[in-house]
Amino acid sequence: MDFYIGLLQVIGVHTLLGLSAWCILHTGQVSLAQGGFFAIGAYTAGMLTAMAGWSLGPSLFIAALIASLIAIAIGFPALRVKGLMLVVATTAFAEIVRLVFFNLKWQVQTPNGPIGPDGGLGFGGIRYFPANAWSGLEILTLIWCLVAGVMSVLWLLDRSRIGTLWRAVGEDEVAAQSAGINLTAAKVSAFGIGGAIAGLAGGIFSHNTTHIEHGNFTILLATFAIAYPIIGGLKSLLGTLIAVIFIQGFLIEGLRFLGDWRSLLFGAMILAIMLIRPTGLLSAPLRLPLFNSKKNAPIGNAKTGAHHA
Amino acid sequence: MAWIDFLDLVQSLMDGVMFGATYALIGIGFTLIFGVMHKINLSYAAASVGAAYLSLLIVSVAPTPLVYLLAAVCGGLLGALIYFVCFKFLPLNQALATLMSTVGMLLVLEEAIVHATAGMPQNYPALFADKVFNLGPFIVRGDLLFVFGLGCAVMVGLKFMLEKTRLGLATRAVAQQPIAAQICGMSVDQTNASTFVIAGLLGGTAGAMTGAAIGVLSPLLTLPLTVKGLVVTVIGGLGSIPGAILAGLIVGGAESLFQFVRGVSERDIYVMLMLFVFLVFRPNGLFAAPGGRD
Repeated sequence: MDFYIGLLQVIGVHTLLGLSAWCILHTGQVSLAQGGFFAIGAYTAGMLTAMAGWSLGPSLFIAALIASLIAIAIGFPALRVKGLMLVVATTAFAEIVRLVFFNLKWQVQTPNGPIGPDGGLGFGGIRYFPANAWSGLEILTLIWCLVAGVMSVLWLLDRSRIGTLWRAVGEDEVAAQSAGINLTAAKVSAFGIGGAIAGLAGGIFSHNTTHIEHGNFTILLATFAIAYPIIGGLKSLLGTLIAVIFIQGFLIEGLRFLGDWRSLLFGAMILAIMLIRPTGLLSAPLRLPLFNSKKNAPIGNAKTGAHHA
Repeated sequence: MAWIDFLDLVQSLMDGVMFGATYALIGIGFTLIFGVMHKINLSYAAASVGAAYLSLLIVSVAPTPLVYLLAAVCGGLLGALIYFVCFKFLPLNQALATLMSTVGMLLVLEEAIVHATAGMPQNYPALFADKVFNLGPFIVRGDLLFVFGLGCAVMVGLKFMLEKTRLGLATRAVAQQPIAAQICGMSVDQTNASTFVIAGLLGGTAGAMTGAAIGVLSPLLTLPLTVKGLVVTVIGGLGSIPGAILAGLIVGGAESLFQFVRGVSERDIYVMLMLFVFLVFRPNGLFAAPGGRD
């Protein structure tokens, strides 16, 4: 039972992470900085509860706020670059965040000994949940309430003017701009909201695992973050959830009986999904890759392809 | 700063610039593929390391130069494989689809390496490892010098290929104007595929050079090489080969310099900050790509 509760907790946290990437992908930008925002949220929330003795709610709020502010600060220079340049710039940002935490040593004395980030050894003892006697089920409920809350906010946003603006910018920047849409506002708001969600996810993550270290926040995590919405399909929020359940539940946990071969199959499955459903699981009708490959020759579509990475 | 510290500083800068030849080759590979297809192949650095691993198959029976040659050939084959698996049958207007498919390929390659070697680092043969040249107060490691020389030779070969052969002409034409190239009777599909093979040859050589310079191969090399390769591509300017060469040497030198000044754990922070400086002051890179599709 504990195993399934733990798995559902992981799925919840990763859904939040995927949703944060969804916001930014929706405006047609590929950001690998989500792992960085996640790390900022994780360390901030952990430091507030474990070192400053705050309770969980305000810590999560501040973590999301700080991650969001940093995301907005990153979003402005991100407007200067597009496509591959943005991918690389955000990758560099995520690496900087990871390396800063790798080098960060700041501990305070508590009755239970020194607590705080300890460089490469990581940041242990974020024991808010055990100290306040939360059961696994209660943590699970909290996580999924947050997921439900974030999803409904995004659902409402998607149906409001902001969602329309984001989608317009994502479909065609030039057309959106000539229709009078403020590109800066659309992109920066997507970065800010995405950063807040990633920070929130990070805060939950650090409290749930009680020990975090720089190795949790590599580029691979950021790649997963954008993989969920892409594999699920950008058209709907549910796609992200389904992709997380598919990857975390089926590919990572469900295939454990395969032993070593599991991780090999993992990449191959992602590859296969992209070949069969290039626009994601929940999107256009099923197509077989071999039949209409001629139609998709690079010629006519060169322009649209060049906008992104 | 004492004189001896200054000597050490210049020494580490020199070593870094020579090792930077590998970054330059990886950067050229990214830039070539971006040039013709306007796509990133994220599995490229993993394929380069994978090619070096494949060349270890004959390390016990063949002389070292043949091992390097095999690494290059395997890189070319892996390049063709990646083109057919990750690009050929995907709709190219879906930019995210090829991004994700190459991530899948990256994971497959990395896991295949871990699976085949049980995750243990493998020794890689170097040439001239016992030779040391004295250059005034500085020493030049023979193996690093060889790696640098090999990198330069490959770059010269690439330059010749791009400017003097029909294949190079086709590559440049497709990169500049795919529609016009097709009207002139060039097959975009074939040119794309051969560009992947050429980039793969470079990548395989870079993988072998990395192995020779460090002395071991490890699956842990793939992600840092990917990130460094992308950084080099952006600093040099997307689609610009001279830019990638210069940026590779700069990144290699800077990395070694920061490591000497601030230590190995902080080194990459400064390399990434350097990238941001470039993005702010020269967002198009050192050399902007020649006008083309955009």
